[in-house]
Amino acid sequence: MTTDATLATRPDLRDRFQRLAGQWREESQYMSNTGQMTLLKSYLGIIGIGEPAVPLLLEELKRDPDYWFRALEAITLEDPVPPEDKGRLDRMAAAWIDWGVRSGHLAS
Amino acid sequence: MKAGAEFPRLTPDNHRETSPRDKAYNCIAWAVGEMKQWWEPGLYWVPQDWPTDDRSLGALESLFSTLGYVDCNLDDGLEPGFAKVALYATSAFEGTHAARQLPSGKWTSKLGKLIDIEHDTPEVIAGGEYGEVMQVMKRADAPADLGP
Repeated sequence: MTTDATLATRPDLRDRFQRLAGQWREESQYMSNTGQMTLLKSYLGIIGIGEPAVPLLLEELKRDPDYWFRALEAITLEDPVPPEDKGRLDRMAAAWIDWGVRSGHLAS
Repeated sequence: MKAGAEFPRLTPDNHRETSPRDKAYNCIAWAVGEMKQWWEPGLYWVPQDWPTDDRSLGALESLFSTLGYVDCNLDDGLEPGFAKVALYATSAFEGTHAARQLPSGKWTSKLGKLIDIEHDTPEVIAGGEYGEVMQVMKRADAPADLGP
């Protein structure tokens, strides 16, 4: 059985993710609403990768926190961020990274 | 910042960068005078139970109304004793940006996930990514001296 983790190490998939992520960072840099950022084609492309994108998104959150939360929610149907931390980028990233470790998507 | 499709009216003389990049807060937070979190319906908003994903100009107007601001008919001049905010929207009335007036009469904006700038007028950053200034609101107190 091929796991999500092994899929995420596929060079073609990682390259596609990095290309879309870079495009999204560029296109969303002036935007002030994460919902608007989510509608960009590049962001939707990452959601379209599905489960294999999860460890890559979590790695991105560890490396350089950004508003990847809606993609993670859409793919995993989870939301580990406590209501009081909504809007706090550092705390939202930390909640998702903890979730990633607990769920086996991310090495501790 | 350089003039481009996003900000066609920016020139080197009409704005100044006043902070490093910071993704932790957005223009709405900065207009309110807050730097710890990203203000948006569904994340942090006042009132907190505002419909998630409402990106309309009306959501912005409602936020600032809740905070005590009233419509001042697009008057962006300095009025002693009043704090002012300018609200921007696309032609489809999608709220895109908020700027805050400084005690000097100039304006300050956080540009998305990037930097803060001081700009001479609200119109300087309009005409591109943020659409146009659609609303100016004021509140009867001194402009908060939060920066730049």
